[in-house]
Amino acid sequence: MEDIIAETHAKRIPCRGRQISFLASILGETFAPFPPSISPFLPCTVPSSNNNYTSYASCDNLGDFTRHVREIAKERGDPRMAIVLERSERLRDCDANILPVLCRLQELTQDVNIVVILCSTLPVDKFRASTGFMEPIAFHFPQYTKDELVRILVTRRVTDYSEEFYTNYVNLVLSVFYHATKSLPELKHLVQLNFKVYCEPIEKGEATDTDIKKLWRNIEPHLKKAMSSVYLREVSSSQFERMQSLVSESTTSGDLPQLQPQMKLTGTTKIELPFYSKFLLISAYLASYNPARTDRRFFMKHHGKQRKTQAMIKAKERSSNQLVGPKPFPLERLMAIFYSIIEDKVSPTANVFSQISTLVTLRLVTQIGGEDQLDAPKYKCAVPLDFIRGIARTVGFDIVRYLYDYA
Amino acid sequence: RRQSATPGMPSRQGPVKHPQTPLEKARENLHVSAVPESLPCRENEFQEIYSFVEGKLFDGTGGCMYISGVPGTGKTATVREVVRLLQECSQGGDLPGFTYLEVNAMRLTEPHQLWVQVWKGLTGNKVTADHASSLLEKRFSTPAPRREPTLLLVDELDLLWTRKQDVMYNLFDWPCRPGSKLIVVAIANTMDLPERIMINRVASRLGLTRMTFQPYTHKQLQEIVLSRLLGINAFDPDAVQLVARKVAAVSGDARRALDICRRATEIAETKTMPPSPMKSPMKSPVKRNALVGMLHVDQALKEMFTSPKITAIRSCSLMEKNVLRAVVSEFLRTGLEEAVFVRVLDQYNSLCRFDGVEPSTMSEVMCIVNRLTSQRLILTEHSRNDLNLRLRLNISTDDVNYALQSS
Repeated sequence: MEDIIAETHAKRIPCRGRQISFLASILGETFAPFPPSISPFLPCTVPSSNNNYTSYASCDNLGDFTRHVREIAKERGDPRMAIVLERSERLRDCDANILPVLCRLQELTQDVNIVVILCSTLPVDKFRASTGFMEPIAFHFPQYTKDELVRILVTRRVTDYSEEFYTNYVNLVLSVFYHATKSLPELKHLVQLNFKVYCEPIEKGEATDTDIKKLWRNIEPHLKKAMSSVYLREVSSSQFERMQSLVSESTTSGDLPQLQPQMKLTGTTKIELPFYSKFLLISAYLASYNPARTDRRFFMKHHGKQRKTQAMIKAKERSSNQLVGPKPFPLERLMAIFYSIIEDKVSPTANVFSQISTLVTLRLVTQIGGEDQLDAPKYKCAVPLDFIRGIARTVGFDIVRYLYDYA
Repeated sequence: RRQSATPGMPSRQGPVKHPQTPLEKARENLHVSAVPESLPCRENEFQEIYSFVEGKLFDGTGGCMYISGVPGTGKTATVREVVRLLQECSQGGDLPGFTYLEVNAMRLTEPHQLWVQVWKGLTGNKVTADHASSLLEKRFSTPAPRREPTLLLVDELDLLWTRKQDVMYNLFDWPCRPGSKLIVVAIANTMDLPERIMINRVASRLGLTRMTFQPYTHKQLQEIVLSRLLGINAFDPDAVQLVARKVAAVSGDARRALDICRRATEIAETKTMPPSPMKSPMKSPVKRNALVGMLHVDQALKEMFTSPKITAIRSCSLMEKNVLRAVVSEFLRTGLEEAVFVRVLDQYNSLCRFDGVEPSTMSEVMCIVNRLTSQRLILTEHSRNDLNLRLRLNISTDDVNYALQSS
């Protein structure tokens, strides 16, 4: 019987034969053959309106729950039941008794033939509570190998081209993406996304389906592009497809049209800020990444001669401020740097100070230690160097000249 | 088809047997629930409580008495004995009649339920806590000359503590009202309870009638046990003396002494001890078996007084012992009483290599640590911090070394 289950499911789910036969050997004894319409990993009690899911009873605690499970079992004539819990690592954050009770649910419901299957990406080591825990049978689903991925992706194809041709294509895509991701859904998505471009030369009559070298030369830049844009979700898939169609319209396939800045989601982070806000943000960045003792040197006109000693250079090399992250600074220092880098006269009005708090609400600057809001607030700059460079360029300020790590 | 390892008690088949042999009779008399007619060694306390309550009853006034003492010193039994005698006297017409109420605060779900219980005891009606409070307030503040006095025994007084202390305040305030005719006898374990948890206005109303039950001395314990065994030839008097001296040295708890004696009778029944060389060969083997001797008592004492942790360590598996060794040597290395799991793992693996055992994987060691944690030999946090898990021993390192060496 177990073999039958294993065989029927091995056909539907390729490359998981060992796992299926193991599960069948455990569950097969207690379970009748699964109905063929149900995948073993999606049992019939997934609560949805499709399978006439209705609430059975309300229960407030685990005692009620086990009682209801027993009732259900009695009503239905002692069926074999399974509860599958996906992302079960989150059960650890629930009440402390939920996971231990689920692990010994069969024992607690006494005569009910019930199995609880916990699916998670974490090892079982991270589930144990300090009060003891009935060890579940731990079973590992290993990563697909490259060959297995190719096999699965080829079996899932929806195209008129031959299997050999498609296998070649999948191999090409994997050769680019396999070192970046081994996730099947991700790869499936990428394979589907790029197949149209791959077939284009054949449809135009420029190449035949055996002309692999030409097809590869055609697809390679697209795949490289997709790696940096689609895979990181900088542009959405539909935008990428639209772009591909633009490419196919343009006769010269050599120069790809540059992505429109508004099409990108990240990368070119451009925020329109008021003039003073920009300077406030720049001075916050300088205050965060420059040591306070160098302020004299950078922001005063006559600061005296600075002698570079060997120790200073060494210290600079040892800990770059860009690596250790931003440091907190008081408000006075921010204002001092602000007044020294801004050219014209600015009076410290409410407007200027409210712009600081606006920067905090925009999360460009974070406030540290919320206990002292008015008296001595401390801030930290929370923007990367590229962002602040872009801002500095718009106001014509050379920020690199003022940074301790680069100056 | 219970696949559990949960321990359970076999249910009793048929009625309880009447004791036949001297050992069975002794066991019945030694049971904690078999309270004797008169309590030996508590005559003075008995007299004091009796005269206090009797005086209040004769005068028709109210008052409080606070009784303290460590567990197992006969507080509740003595007060109940007093009440029994008073009730006999009042039935005989020597004393005015009175209503007796007994409330154990441990049995109340919530401190305010005390009022409900008292009102129910007085009238038989059940009302809500607030209503009962107002009804009692009215009852005890209006003098009624023909009403029977009330004797209220409150056990486990410390559990009646609330933030506002209104339960305790009312409890001690009502007896002070003129014409309330309420006598409160409060029992708790701690001597300085009024000073420690009661606010001043509550403590002052409690008054100064305090009584402390001292722990039993070994002579008193011996007397108690022997008084229960009067007329039954089951115990060697020296054995009783050993029990009395041991228990008096540790806690002076009479219940403990009785438990040990009962356990000794069981051991004497099931085990034929090797004949002790001290005894004269004149005694017949039948008689020696019938008597509970020093050896039986010694074994019972060992069972009940030895630390279970050392026994637990001794019965650990080799790997568990090695983990404990690793924890101890890590403590020795760092000089701290806390170790990080990674370092313990290193120590464990080097220990294994020294012993020529194959080192274990991290998951296995984690599993062992969790087992030891669930036995409370080690204290850890939740295992989700896996490698950074911090371990502490719940037992001194000397004890661990002792247990590991002697095994």
